[in-house]
Amino acid sequence: MTAGAPTRSPRAPRRAPTELTFVLDEALVESYAAGEPDWLAADRRAALALYGLLPIESNELYTPYIDLRSADLGDVRAYPEPAGAPDSARPGSVPPHGAAAFADFDEDRVGGLVVDDAARAAGVTVETLGGLVGRDPEAARRLLTDGETLPADDRLAQLTRAGWNQGVAIRVPDRVRLDRPIVVRWAAGTPGTALLTRTIVELGDGASASVVEELGPSADAAGAAAGSGQALFTSTLEIRVGRGAELAVASIQDFGPEQIVFQHRRAIIGEESKLHWALAQLGGRLVRSRVDNRLEGDRSTVEQVEIVFGANEQLHDLTSYTRHVGRDTTGNLLSKGVLLDAARTYLKGMITIEKSAVGTDSFLGEFGMNLSRKARSVAIPSLEIDQPDCRRAAHSSSVGPIDEAQLFYLETRGIPPDDARKFIVLGFLEPVVARVPLEAERQRLRELLEAKWDAGIARAAAA
Amino acid sequence: MTATREIVTDRREEFAFHDDIVYLRETKRGLTRETVEEISRFKEEPDWMFQLRLRAYDHFLQRPMPTWTDGLDRIDFDKIVYYRKPSEREEKSWDDVPEQIKATFERLGIPEAERKFLAGVGAQYDSEVVYHSVREELSKIGVVFMGMDQGLKEYPDIVRKYFGTVVPAEDNKFSALNSAVWSGGSFVYVPKGVEVPLPLQAYFRINGENTGQFERTLIVVDEGAKVHYIEGCTAPIYATDSLHAAVVEVVALPGSKVRYTTIQNWSNDVYNLVTKRAHAYENATVEWIDANTGSRKTVKFPSIYLRGPNATADIISVAVAGKGQHQDTGAKAIHLAPNTRSRIVSKSVSKDGGRATYRGQLKVSPGATNVVASVRCDALMLDDLSRSDTYPYIDIQEDDTTMTHEATVGKVSTDQIFYLMSRGLTENEATNLIVQGFLEVFTKELPMEYAIEFNRLVKLEMEGSLG
Repeated sequence: MTAGAPTRSPRAPRRAPTELTFVLDEALVESYAAGEPDWLAADRRAALALYGLLPIESNELYTPYIDLRSADLGDVRAYPEPAGAPDSARPGSVPPHGAAAFADFDEDRVGGLVVDDAARAAGVTVETLGGLVGRDPEAARRLLTDGETLPADDRLAQLTRAGWNQGVAIRVPDRVRLDRPIVVRWAAGTPGTALLTRTIVELGDGASASVVEELGPSADAAGAAAGSGQALFTSTLEIRVGRGAELAVASIQDFGPEQIVFQHRRAIIGEESKLHWALAQLGGRLVRSRVDNRLEGDRSTVEQVEIVFGANEQLHDLTSYTRHVGRDTTGNLLSKGVLLDAARTYLKGMITIEKSAVGTDSFLGEFGMNLSRKARSVAIPSLEIDQPDCRRAAHSSSVGPIDEAQLFYLETRGIPPDDARKFIVLGFLEPVVARVPLEAERQRLRELLEAKWDAGIARAAAA
Repeated sequence: MTATREIVTDRREEFAFHDDIVYLRETKRGLTRETVEEISRFKEEPDWMFQLRLRAYDHFLQRPMPTWTDGLDRIDFDKIVYYRKPSEREEKSWDDVPEQIKATFERLGIPEAERKFLAGVGAQYDSEVVYHSVREELSKIGVVFMGMDQGLKEYPDIVRKYFGTVVPAEDNKFSALNSAVWSGGSFVYVPKGVEVPLPLQAYFRINGENTGQFERTLIVVDEGAKVHYIEGCTAPIYATDSLHAAVVEVVALPGSKVRYTTIQNWSNDVYNLVTKRAHAYENATVEWIDANTGSRKTVKFPSIYLRGPNATADIISVAVAGKGQHQDTGAKAIHLAPNTRSRIVSKSVSKDGGRATYRGQLKVSPGATNVVASVRCDALMLDDLSRSDTYPYIDIQEDDTTMTHEATVGKVSTDQIFYLMSRGLTENEATNLIVQGFLEVFTKELPMEYAIEFNRLVKLEMEGSLG
């Protein structure tokens, strides 16, 4: 997120809030399909058909809260021929310290694809989807087309399934326990471009791993003059966690102010497995994200912590579905938002407990801090329950200003009011920071949050 | 107390009959522009009401059927008789009430209640208020409590000023329907500074197969005044579906206090689609105390728009959904002014395949500073055939709002059942006691005779499920 004066975009033409201005060029999809196996081409075409039929929001509970009007994507075009492998003529990017593997994507280029020796020896693979399709088409077919990992009722998910032009597959074999994280970096935002991506993560039975996803502006995006146009980035995280496995995923989204982002993350969690999400949303103009957790196996667990720090006229529209299917499953979901300026967040969370899900423990918390009179915070925490025999089925939500008592306490300790406010807000967001698996990434996230706060204070002082 | 017990005994079995009333006047089945015109002409209404009905009818036709809740497409609007008049004119004295109708009300216990302590009775038999008495002292202090049709004739200025301002015809499909064909309901006006010492009570019934009932209630409480209005319902049981689409508008002017209590117990074939809304002005307090145990499907979200500074909203909503029932209920608090407060408490019980849905909205608009709001919704599921949903919408557009929301869903704890059984209760009694305790937040707000009736209703429901 670039700091600076609040930029009010020129008044957009009047559009319906559900109108998607991006045009998925069918000829371009066909050009991707031309070089691909038949099954993959067929998958793209099937998605294209659904994309043409589906509404932007298929859940009627949420239709009052959808607003795509700030996405001005009429002139945005998808990259025609993204690279399938690192360019050997350019120096490969350097992996972050402490990472077991690193996949680096910079717009339509692959900056680097590195797996360290220990991980490679254990059978861990990190490769582009293009590379996987060529090397092991059977595995690619299973991972890309089983129809389970992207929601069939979601138009934007089908957009990515039809038109993806970059992707990465991370696979950790059975019983491999990786103690250092795999880092995937996506840099995007060149005005007028669209990068549509899929990320696939598969953990075998008894495996454990952590993945850090860095989403930020490319050098082109950071250097672009203000008002030179928007860019589109779509991404997926399609996760399969086998039996008795454990996966931690952290995502730090810090795109530039002209970036439109559509994200779909879907996890199928097997017996006695655990999935931990730590998701931080800071950047972008409009971010529409959806997380689907399916607790399929008995005694499976998902823990999801998500923070939003919005400023200027950002809209973060975040939906999370958690479906309990197996017995004695556990869901623990927490969303926190801090809003400055005229930022908006829509936090929609749905817990579904199916009749088979005896012994469920499920909790959803949505907490917000509105720090500006122009900000808007919407929370819709819902429960749909068909099985009453549960350990817990509850949600909780609150919105409030900075706690005066906390502020007073810090001031009595000699901390100036401005610093005290900063500490309280950053402390409010700390639960996500603490769950990021890599120290360097934790520190980076803290710095991003602090910079965003300082920029907000500077704007308030200037105003 | 023996006298009061008479009226609170659960006697739904007795009420489940159909009197062979000779309908003196009724419209043809189905809804056309002519039906609407005929109703208005017959009632000799002023032109503005005639035009309002026609506008509402046009809107009803244009408005699509809501799809966010299911089953409404089963309503056949062509099968419904939109207006039925059981007696020629509104009766002032009990002696003038037709014998047959009087007999029905005998069974409802109205004369007893009136003699004892009721402040006033407006009883709705089908689509018209047929019996209505207001105690002398209420008239003396200027309190108006009469049928809506009579109110329109006798207090045209007050009605014209407020009718349709709280719930416009265009609010939703069923408020449009009600505005087009409304008949009956209560009109209440409490003058400045007057405290009505006893609750105003109205009984409603639906009679006649496929008779829709579209009552319209308007309650205007002037500055500093105070009133408690109670409605309770019984209805005969029929195999085909009945529709009840009411609109209730409450205007709480500055400094007033209004409490509106409902015990809804329609028979299990009724579609009960009600729009209830109040405007609370400066320093006013509005309380909705709302229970839904009957009907096949109820869609009702009592709402309070906090329009003046320091206004207070308090909503208690309880629902019991049994076999074949869907209670789609909840509450809305819309904060439009500074220093306003709201509290929503919802409790639902679902059993025998019933479905209880909480749907609520809490909104803090720009300018509504220093709001304090809380929402609490708890659901109890008695078996795994049943379903419970919770859909709260929380929309905050100010920076100093303090809002908390809590929701839980669970079953009756086996520990509690075991404990009570060890004290000599049967399992059925123990469950009943726990359910009554769960709903007590509602029951304790009721006048005693209603509390007893409500507990009996719950007990009856429980016996139905467990016996």
